[in-house]
Amino acid sequence: MNLIRGFATTIKHVFEEPVTIQFPEEERPVRERFKGRHALKRYDNGLEKCIGCSLCAAACPADAIWVEAAENSDEARYSPGERYARTYEINMIRCIFCGYCEDACPTEAIVLEHEYRLSFNDRVDAVYTKDMLIDPVPPGGQDTPQVTEPGKFTRSIPEMKDPD
Amino acid sequence: MTDTVTITIDGQDFEVPKGMNLVDAAKLHGIGIPVFCYHPKLDPVGMCRMCLVELGNVAIDRTTGAPELDEQGNPVIRWFPKLQTACTQTVSQGMVLRTTSDMVVEGRENILEFLLTSHPLDCPVCDKGGECPLQNLTMAYGPGESRFIYDDKIRLAKHVPLGKLIYLDRERCIQCARCTRFCDEIVGDDVLAFHERGRRLQIVTISDPPFDTKFSGNTTDICPVGALTTTDFRFGARPWELTEVSTICPYCPVGCNLNASTRMDREFGGKAMIKRIMPRQNERVNEIWICDKGRFGHHHSRHEERLLAPLMRNKSGELVEVEWPAVYKAIAKQLKAHGDQAGFVGDSTLSNEDLWELRRLAELSGGSPRLGLWPATMSGGDVVAQVGVGSETRLQDLGPGSVILVMASDFEEEAPIWWLQVKQAADRGAKVVVANARPTKLDRYASAVIHYRYDEAVGVLNSFTAPLLSGDGQLGQGNGWGALQSDLQNAEVTHADTANLLASAENLVIFLGSEGLTLEQHAELMQAAANLLIVSGHVGRPNNGLIPVWPGANVQGAWDMGFSAEATADLLANPPALWVIGGADVAGEDIRMATALEQAEFVVVTAQFMTPTAAHADIVLPRQSFAERAGTYTNGLRRVQRFYPAQGPIGDALPDWKIFAHVSAQMGGPRPPVAAGTIFRDIAQRVERYIGMDYTRLAWFEPQFPDVGGDDLYYGGTAYSNYGGLGLQWPAEAEAEQPQFSVRPVRTAAPQTDGLTLVPVWVLFDRGHLFEKSELMHHRMPQPYAAFNPDDAARLGLTDGDRVTLAVEGHELTVTAQVGDDNPAGAVLLPRRLSGDATLSTPAACTVQKIESMQKVEG
Amino acid sequence: MLAEKYADRIQKIFAKYPDRRSGIMDLLYLAQEEYGWLTEQALEEVAALCDVDPTQAHSIAGFYTMYSEKPKGKYWLQVCTDLPCALRGADDFYAALCEFLGVEDGGTTEDGLFTVEQVMCLAACDKAPMLQCNFHYHENLDMEKMKAQIEQWRAEAAQPEQPEDERP
Repeated sequence: MNLIRGFATTIKHVFEEPVTIQFPEEERPVRERFKGRHALKRYDNGLEKCIGCSLCAAACPADAIWVEAAENSDEARYSPGERYARTYEINMIRCIFCGYCEDACPTEAIVLEHEYRLSFNDRVDAVYTKDMLIDPVPPGGQDTPQVTEPGKFTRSIPEMKDPD
Repeated sequence: MTDTVTITIDGQDFEVPKGMNLVDAAKLHGIGIPVFCYHPKLDPVGMCRMCLVELGNVAIDRTTGAPELDEQGNPVIRWFPKLQTACTQTVSQGMVLRTTSDMVVEGRENILEFLLTSHPLDCPVCDKGGECPLQNLTMAYGPGESRFIYDDKIRLAKHVPLGKLIYLDRERCIQCARCTRFCDEIVGDDVLAFHERGRRLQIVTISDPPFDTKFSGNTTDICPVGALTTTDFRFGARPWELTEVSTICPYCPVGCNLNASTRMDREFGGKAMIKRIMPRQNERVNEIWICDKGRFGHHHSRHEERLLAPLMRNKSGELVEVEWPAVYKAIAKQLKAHGDQAGFVGDSTLSNEDLWELRRLAELSGGSPRLGLWPATMSGGDVVAQVGVGSETRLQDLGPGSVILVMASDFEEEAPIWWLQVKQAADRGAKVVVANARPTKLDRYASAVIHYRYDEAVGVLNSFTAPLLSGDGQLGQGNGWGALQSDLQNAEVTHADTANLLASAENLVIFLGSEGLTLEQHAELMQAAANLLIVSGHVGRPNNGLIPVWPGANVQGAWDMGFSAEATADLLANPPALWVIGGADVAGEDIRMATALEQAEFVVVTAQFMTPTAAHADIVLPRQSFAERAGTYTNGLRRVQRFYPAQGPIGDALPDWKIFAHVSAQMGGPRPPVAAGTIFRDIAQRVERYIGMDYTRLAWFEPQFPDVGGDDLYYGGTAYSNYGGLGLQWPAEAEAEQPQFSVRPVRTAAPQTDGLTLVPVWVLFDRGHLFEKSELMHHRMPQPYAAFNPDDAARLGLTDGDRVTLAVEGHELTVTAQVGDDNPAGAVLLPRRLSGDATLSTPAACTVQKIESMQKVEG
Repeated sequence: MLAEKYADRIQKIFAKYPDRRSGIMDLLYLAQEEYGWLTEQALEEVAALCDVDPTQAHSIAGFYTMYSEKPKGKYWLQVCTDLPCALRGADDFYAALCEFLGVEDGGTTEDGLFTVEQVMCLAACDKAPMLQCNFHYHENLDMEKMKAQIEQWRAEAAQPEQPEDERP
């Protein structure tokens, strides 16, 4: 009797739709708050939000972030204010996707996005550099470094809105 | 009367020294009273109001003058009705403080709320963020929120250059005046000041060049906010990311303790790189100050022109890269072939370990080693060993009753931090006597200024000594007293007042340079100074004796290791066939040396860069800079101090000691030592003065007052606490229990002839082959010039700005003439290391020819 | 050059003080009298005479409102807007004055007649709003009084002859 009940369960599942999806042809949507690979954001005009303050690196419990800063000028401007990130690297093997970097960021420059397809053949490949992390230039914006009007972008933290 | 009083802080009784202010007194016992404007090295002004405390004094009965007592017999405390600034109040017997009461807490909150009304709070991008007193104190004592409206914050310029080294952010400034007071009180260069008032108060400078002081970097250390930051460090790293390494400045005899803040850097190949140089506290040496040369002069350590591999001349005479073993063999072969024909020269930037291994190599080469030091401008290592300043001398202890004689030195250019300390000693009441052939900046603070002709230098010291020689003297006849007495009995007493001042001084320190003197003349001058010190009894105890203003960081160490300037002179007089030169750019600095090297058969040079000396060489060995390796330097006060490897290595460069040791091994010497510490152990066994020292003992440290660094950035600024070692001083012979003194008559120089003498002088910001690599300092380096007295200039038909050719010893130098009243007659002052051309180390007769057509110069 | 032109006066100024540095304020007055305002060159000359860095002269000139470091109009109107005066309406008075003359804070009218600026306490709080014109006080002001006064000054300025120096 128990044998029949057991097989009945099996047979029932044979006719149900399978939960398996054909990754990578098919992808399961993630939750809105899913924490995947980081992205460095830009303002609408194309300037980078990251000001190279290294607070993400300080907050990182896995010591996965490496930032080196440099100075902006109006001839070659990467971000508003005086400081920008010359080097920005995240070691994705070390990263535990906790999102502390997001919390620490004073300009909302780093966001954990929904990308989760991270695989590497080499430990060095796991280090994502700034050009791999940064978002593409939004339409109408301009790539960095930009030549900007003197006196316009003097502050690093421009009221959290998109400067024009 | 005792020297201490008892005060009560937060219910606990403490003994504190009389006359101390309350902030220092509390600090002494580990109680922090937060401050912004007060700094332990500056006078209190009470501007920031952060140090507010509740303060009570013992009530005094006016009729009897005795303290009033309550029913229990305890003294009655009369409290001030309002909070008092602790920095402007000094302790008195029975004083009672409350530093944590509600009233005090509220007071601090309010002050911080006010200070933050217009502070931009851009801590994420601020270079001070992480080591900022305002940030720290706000976290500790701040109100947490502000009642002021955010939009009412005033907006000011954030990027104001004060000169090319320091940036001012006007928004961040909290107007504590530490920087202006530093310039005014400590340095005496009143080039920073406040402009306007109230909320519009701002720091300005309109000096020419802006912020014209040699100590500008120190203002960024004591700035309690990020208002002043250096161009050098700008956004280099966050303070918490830095690794701190103790090091010693390689430039001048002061031997300032430095702290190299390093961090790995992608553009430096992922290796640790010096991001900034900061002062490291050593109250016996540099206190918490360093000059801009030390702070910004570290770029040579990783300059792109650094030599990366050993170079050897091939058959066609070109320098080509080779492997280390090949050069070791080649050098050993040459040394064996030339045997006792070899001459060895060690630079003042070489560590004791380098010099020791160079000496070992010289000893292995056979014959009596000829060990010259560079720059060879000063004599008298033996005199310093005898009457050098007493152990535990602190220049900051010199005050009323002390006399400081500074002679034959342009002091600020040659030893800036000593200059600073002597200037402050003068402010405290010490008498400063400046003797030189020309006015120098120290004259402003001098009680007496003596201007002599260069050839009269010895005579000046003799005239101080002569009046003291009456009677039999304490030395007895056997020690040269009689000879000196008879020699000086007819000496002219030209400066009687000054002579009295020196003789009656409680403490006497003599700083001796060598401006305008040949090596022989300088040897006599050193002896004349020794005579004066011995005869007047100012030897063998702290704060008394001789301090030589050596021409480099480790000249004292070179003397200790057996090198001498006399040997360099001898090498020039009788040139060897083979030269081994450690680190020095002899050919680039001295025309005589350049000639000697040209005639040499074989030249081996360790160098950081392809200097003119290296270009002359048959073998060029890449040496490591001070930043990449460990070692010790001995400063002008005979303090042996350790430095540690800070920066990642560059190319195949090796420390000099390793290079010399490997060659020694090829010559049949012992196996090369593995570390600098091993060599120092060897030194400590074989050099008498260094007996008992080792790396562990050199690294000793103790708590120092005022306390800087650590958790108390608000108090002393961001100079670093010393954890790398305070160093050890070897005692002078005069400090022995029964010292053997001997004096001897000194020869005065032959009077100057009618012709002109070329006198090499020093400038701090020079174009020496190391400092020149700091490009951010180029604007402070003067254009090459030769300075003339107006009379001489008139005779030669020169005006300011003319191009002239100086002919000296068969060489010609072309420079711009500078005519000024301050320049001594009969001399042409030519700064060393200012142009790319070699000049002279010691004075020599010269002739001057004006170049009429400017086109000729350009052509 | 001040040193040559006013050698005697400078001598007298220095005679009053124990050191040269102390003569700086008198010399700044002298320089202002000579050049109309304290130019960079004036500051440098004064500093050289007093043996201090030009920065110190600049600082003193910036602190005291009697010195001006920029060119000013013929009538130099300094309105006290410190707290007691502000309580008696000095702020509004100042704003109205600026509007009437058509200038910004600290500006000079196009005809070069009037310069207006706010200053720290002039010690006449009881008679606020008040202003100081070329070092003479005008007290208990309101805009009507002021307009009349300005008309008078304009008329005065239109006269061909120069009014005598009003500096005390």
